[in-house]
Amino acid sequence: MDLRLGRHTFGPDQTLMMAIVNRTRDSFFDQGATYDEGPARERVRQVVEDGAEIVDIGGVRAGYGEVVDAAEEIRRVVPFVAWVREHHPGVVISVDTWRSEVAREVCAAGADLVNDAWGGHDPALVEVAAEFGAGIVCTHTGGLPPRTDPYRVEYDDVVAAAIAETTSLAERALAAGVPRESIVIDPAHDFGKNTFHSLEITRRLGEMVATGWPVLVSLSNKDFVGETLGAPPQERLTGTLAATSVCALAGARIYRVHQVRETRATVDMVWSIAGRRPPLRAIRALQ
Amino acid sequence: MTGVRVALVPGVLAFLPEYAGQVDPVAEVRAASLAAAAWVGEAGPVTVVGDPQGTRVGRRLLAQSGAEEGAGSAYLVVANGSARRNDTAPGYVDERAVPFDDRVLAALAAPDPEALADLDVELAEALLVGHPAGLVRLGELLRGARTVGVDHVSDPFGVAYWVVRWEGPQP
Repeated sequence: MDLRLGRHTFGPDQTLMMAIVNRTRDSFFDQGATYDEGPARERVRQVVEDGAEIVDIGGVRAGYGEVVDAAEEIRRVVPFVAWVREHHPGVVISVDTWRSEVAREVCAAGADLVNDAWGGHDPALVEVAAEFGAGIVCTHTGGLPPRTDPYRVEYDDVVAAAIAETTSLAERALAAGVPRESIVIDPAHDFGKNTFHSLEITRRLGEMVATGWPVLVSLSNKDFVGETLGAPPQERLTGTLAATSVCALAGARIYRVHQVRETRATVDMVWSIAGRRPPLRAIRALQ
Repeated sequence: MTGVRVALVPGVLAFLPEYAGQVDPVAEVRAASLAAAAWVGEAGPVTVVGDPQGTRVGRRLLAQSGAEEGAGSAYLVVANGSARRNDTAPGYVDERAVPFDDRVLAALAAPDPEALADLDVELAEALLVGHPAGLVRLGELLRGARTVGVDHVSDPFGVAYWVVRWEGPQP
């Protein structure tokens, strides 16, 4: 199925790199490196040059941290969305927010996709996406409220739970008027999950792909990689790419990443191994 | 009425759709080969002369150029020169390869059917020539023929590619 994200349409076998652009002071990986306007603009320029199809702009750190109310989130994100729309019209603009009032402002400013990383916490979010013709990411958090960490969470079957929650959110988005080809599901590694859960989600990602909804994975440098390998955030690229390979083989379509080039090469390689992408140029033994 | 039409194209496996990448590494020789296949096809059904791999390549070129395969007065010969022309060639370098290819190309261009019929097949095999028997067969097919065009001569990967067309007297 084609994927339509706001103004942009992608073919059924196309994979997409979604580059993380944080307008925060305290996100775990970049530690505020793109909080200011200048570095954020440079980051967008760089990831577009690196081949990212999507930028995912966030104004609030996912984990605990300084309070960012809707007004402050709008101040951080909306003018920036407008700037990206004007200066990089070819890139899909995603905004990572759970608040419908923020979604309304960013969609008006040109966002193509609402990344609801907190899994339908604000039920009005899908209505905003529908109203503006934007896409929506439906995420599994196991019912965790925004900006909280999981504590002693357990599931009978984490994959079944992720499928049930994300597909039910997807159906709700559909009912609210978001077109089927604009709805994406995300198992949300680490969100409402311990490391064993995230490893199992990775191992069984094919079950999510089999639902028929396009799957987004957000693996980049996360704690489940760090805990698995005993690696601090800056040393998690190799583990991230290993997890990326497994998800790519299963057929994930969108990859939310810090490192665009490395992930693109990994996904292209696996996509070709899976027989979904021809090699770029093949002549060895075929002369 | 046209006479017998004969064309030579190389047996490049990269011509086959199952080996297509996103970028075509053999675009020029493919274009010349397709044009030659289309040209022989204008004379009616085409007999493909090639080894099993070459026959696959020839059939693909015919199908792609809209030509029909069958017995008649048109021939598509699938063969090429040495694959040992330099140190990046699939068979590495053999000093005898370039002079050998030069002699064959001269015989193709003339054409010189007797020189082709007398091809040193043993040497050709040592030089990893693509389907030497096809070149020998050209010696028969080109009796009384004239060269219409030497359309393509190259060796981009250390393998000699030739695309040549001939027309012979009516059968």
